[in-house]
Amino acid sequence: MRWWVAVAWIEELFTVGEQRVDELEVYGFSGTSISADLKQRRVSLCSSSVETGLCIRTIDKGKIGSSSTNDPQQWQACLDAAIAGGRLATPQEWKGLPDPVALPTTDFAWDPDLVVEPATAQELLAGMLEGALEYPDAAVTSGGAGVAVGEITFANSHGVRYTSRQSDVSISLEAISGQSTGYEFDHAFSRSQVNPQRVGEQAACLASRSAGGKDIPSGEYDVVLSPMAYADLLSGIFVPALSGRNVLQGRSKLATKIGETITAPLLSFFDDPHRVGATGSTWFDAEGTPTRRLDFVRDGVLTGFAYDLKTAYRAGLQSTGSAIRGGFAGLPAIGHHNFVVDGKRDEVFDEPAIYVHSVVGAHTANPLSGDFSVEMSNPFWVRDGELAEPVRGAMLTGNFFDLQRQVATLGKESRAVGSYILPPVKINNVRVIGK
Amino acid sequence: MTEPSGIRYYDLRQVSGQSTHIDVDKGVIESAGTIFFNKAVIRVLGPRGWGILEFDNYSHEPGKKFNDLLASAQKLALVADDTVNLGDGSRIVRPVPPVKEDCRDVGIEEKAELLLAIEKAADLPLVTSRRANYSERIEKVRFMDSSGNEYCYEICRSGFSVMAVASRNGTVQMGYEPDHTILGFNLRHREEMGRKAAATAVALLDAGAAKGGKMHAILDPELAGVFAHEAVGHASEGDLIEEGNSILKGRTGEKIGDDHLTIVDDPSLHEFGFEPVDAEGIAAGRTEIIRAGKVNAFLHNRQTLAAIGNGVAGHARAMPGEPPLVRMSNTFIETGDATEDEIFSECKDGIYLAGSRGGQVDPGRGVFQFNAEYGYLIENGERTRMVRDVSLSGEILKTLHGIALCGKKRVMHSGYCGKGGQSVPVSDGAPLVLLRDAVVGGSGVD
Repeated sequence: MRWWVAVAWIEELFTVGEQRVDELEVYGFSGTSISADLKQRRVSLCSSSVETGLCIRTIDKGKIGSSSTNDPQQWQACLDAAIAGGRLATPQEWKGLPDPVALPTTDFAWDPDLVVEPATAQELLAGMLEGALEYPDAAVTSGGAGVAVGEITFANSHGVRYTSRQSDVSISLEAISGQSTGYEFDHAFSRSQVNPQRVGEQAACLASRSAGGKDIPSGEYDVVLSPMAYADLLSGIFVPALSGRNVLQGRSKLATKIGETITAPLLSFFDDPHRVGATGSTWFDAEGTPTRRLDFVRDGVLTGFAYDLKTAYRAGLQSTGSAIRGGFAGLPAIGHHNFVVDGKRDEVFDEPAIYVHSVVGAHTANPLSGDFSVEMSNPFWVRDGELAEPVRGAMLTGNFFDLQRQVATLGKESRAVGSYILPPVKINNVRVIGK
Repeated sequence: MTEPSGIRYYDLRQVSGQSTHIDVDKGVIESAGTIFFNKAVIRVLGPRGWGILEFDNYSHEPGKKFNDLLASAQKLALVADDTVNLGDGSRIVRPVPPVKEDCRDVGIEEKAELLLAIEKAADLPLVTSRRANYSERIEKVRFMDSSGNEYCYEICRSGFSVMAVASRNGTVQMGYEPDHTILGFNLRHREEMGRKAAATAVALLDAGAAKGGKMHAILDPELAGVFAHEAVGHASEGDLIEEGNSILKGRTGEKIGDDHLTIVDDPSLHEFGFEPVDAEGIAAGRTEIIRAGKVNAFLHNRQTLAAIGNGVAGHARAMPGEPPLVRMSNTFIETGDATEDEIFSECKDGIYLAGSRGGQVDPGRGVFQFNAEYGYLIENGERTRMVRDVSLSGEILKTLHGIALCGKKRVMHSGYCGKGGQSVPVSDGAPLVLLRDAVVGGSGVD
C-alpha cells in the first residue's frame, strides 16, 4: 500500500455527499491487462483492456444505498442513484463505517517488474506449448495467458484513505487425446511464480494418460480429491455455510454448531489475509475494515463465521474484515481473502484409492443440505504410491458436510486454486456410481 | 475514411446502459442500486488473426482518433499466427418485440413493493428463510464494421427470482423459482411464484435421497431443456469444433439419436436468449443442430463458419465490453407426438425428474452432468415417492439414442449460460421426454 494521493473528485464527492447523508464511502478501481489466446498450437488473438470504475455507498439513518459507474466523471449521477436506492432500503442497526487505522504500506501481491505487454503473454503461451510436447499423442485445443495490473482506491467519510496495487499472471491450457481431455492452469502475482512448462505438460499428461479408462462398479471407495476438485466442492457447498448472512438468515447447516466437532480432527480451515505472495492478500477489506486471520474450523471444531459490517451490526457482532467485491461494480459481500485448508500432512497415495483430478457440476450441489452427485474428470486408480490406470467416468455422490468427518489424510503439497490454498485430501468410504 | 493499411476487417461494438437491482431478504430490502456502464470493443483482423481493444466511455468520432485506435489493435493483431477467414450471413436487424409494460415506466418503490409481496407469499409454515431478487438491464447496442454495416438497437431484460428455505429437525431444503423476460415488466400478480418455491421447499423435507444407478427417466420440460443445452448445444459450438475440442467434430450426417429427435437453437425466437442481430452484425434464424437424429448443423460465428462450414453464422454473442464468442441463444428439443400417459406407461418403472439446478459439460470428452431440483419415483407407470438431490450424467453419443418419446407441448425457461468468463441470457426448453437407461446419481443406499 502506498501513501494516499489526493484525487480531486473524491474530495469533492465527500464535501457534497456529507451534506446529504450521514456517511459515505467510495471504492475505485483502475487497471490494464493484456491477454492472448491459443487455438490449437497457434495464437488466434491478442487483446488489451483498460478498465476504470467506482462504486459509491451511502448510509443515512441506517439505510444503505449504492451505485456504480465506469465513468468517474459521472460521480454526481452515481451519488444521486446511491442516495435514491438508499431511500428504498429498510433501515437497519448501524454503528458506523470504520475509522482510519495506520496500516503497513507494503503491497502483498504486487510485482513492479511485471511487463504488461503482448510479449509476456506470447512467452507464457510458448512455454505451455513446449511443455505439452512431452506427450505427443495429446493435441492442444485451446489455451490462454493474461497479465494484468490494477490499483484500488478506498476512501470513506471518516477519513479512511487507502490504496493498494495488485498484479496478476494467469495461464491455462486444454488438451485432448482421442476422447480424453486434460486441463491445467496456474495463477500468481508475479511472472516468476507461474510455471508455463509444467502447466502445458500437466494438461497434456492428463489427456494422454486418461485415455482408455475402464468402468468401475458402483460401491464405496477411498477417494483422493485433488486440490482443484476439493476447492470446487468446498466453494459450492461448505463455504456458503460459513457466511454470517446465511447463518443469520437460517440458510446455514452449521449455524448452531459453534464449538462442535464438524470435521475430522486433523482438519483446520481459516482465512489468512496476510499470506505473503497469495493473490487474495490485503490489509483492508472491501469496506475498509482492517483484515485479520479468521479461524473457521480448528482441529475439527467449528470456531467462527465470516461477517461484513451490516451483517455484524444486525447480529450484534463485529465485522471480521471479510467483505469482498466481485469487481468494482459489485457491492461488498461476505467472502474470504485466502481460504486455507491445513493440518498434519502425510502421503495420500500410500494405499489403494481412486484419484479424482476435477469434478463436473459442483455448482449444481445442494448448498443447504450438502447433498451432491457430480461426474468425475480424469480419475485414476492409485496403486503402489502413484497414479496407475485411468478410470472411465463415474459419479461421486454423498453429503459433503458428512464427508468432512471421513477425511483421512491431507497431502504434503498445497497449491492455490482461485482464492483457495489447499492440498489434495484423502476421504474414506465415498459412494461411487458406475455406468 | 481510410483506415490504416494492412487491416483486413474491423468492427466496433459499444454497449451502454444501466442495470438496477433490488434484493429482498426475509421481508427486508437488503439493497437496491443502479450500475451505469458504457463499454466498447474494437476488433481488427490483421494478416494472421485478431487484435482486440476493450475500453470504457467511448464516443465515436471518425478521423485520426479512431484511426489511432485501429492502429493500436492492429499492432496487437501482429502477435497472432493463425489463419482466419470470414464467412457471411443474413444482414438484417430484427425488431425488438414490443413490451406489454415498460420497466422504465414503473418507479423503483413500486417494484420493491411488488417484489416484497412475492417474497412474502413464500412465508408458509416451516419456511425459515426467504429471499427475492429483481434485476433489470437496459442495453443500447451500437455496431459498425469496415464493410459499411451499421446498426443500433435497445433492449431491456428484466426479471426476478424467489427462494424459500424450509427446515424441520435439522433437515433443510429449498425451493427456487426464477422468471426473466424480454417482454416487459413481469412483477405484477406473481405471488404464486413465492408460494410455489415455498411449497417445493416444504415438500422436499419429506423426500428421501434417490438411490443412484441406471434407470429409465422422464424429464420435465425445464430439465429436458437443460439436457439439450448441456448435452448437445455446447458440443455444437463452432469454436469448440474448430479447436478439436468437441465430440461432434467430423460427425455431420451421423445418426446419434432416434429418428424423431430434433434439437434446435434459434436466436430469433422472442424468448430470453433473443438477439435482434448477433455481435458480428449477422442475424441467424432457426438452426437445427440435430435433425431426425442426425448431426445436422453447427452454431457458428463468421470465422468458424469459414473454417468448418456446415451451419450458419449469427451465433456470436458478447457481454458488454467483451469480444464475441460462439454461443447458444434459445435451445430446445422439438415436440413429438406422445401423450403424457404414453410416456409414463412406456417408462413403467423409473424416475421422474423436475426443475433444474444447472449443469456442466466436457464437450471434448462428450460427458455431461446436470441436476434436478426434485423428482418422483415411477412405479408401474405412476408417480409415487418424492426424492431429492437427483442428478444425471451421461455420454453425449450414447445418451441421445435413449430419448425414446417426446411429448406434444414445449415449454421454455430462461436463465444464464457461462463460457470463457462471459455470462449471457439464454432460454432452454423441451416437451416432456422419456430417456431410457439414464445414469442417475443420488446419495441414497439400500
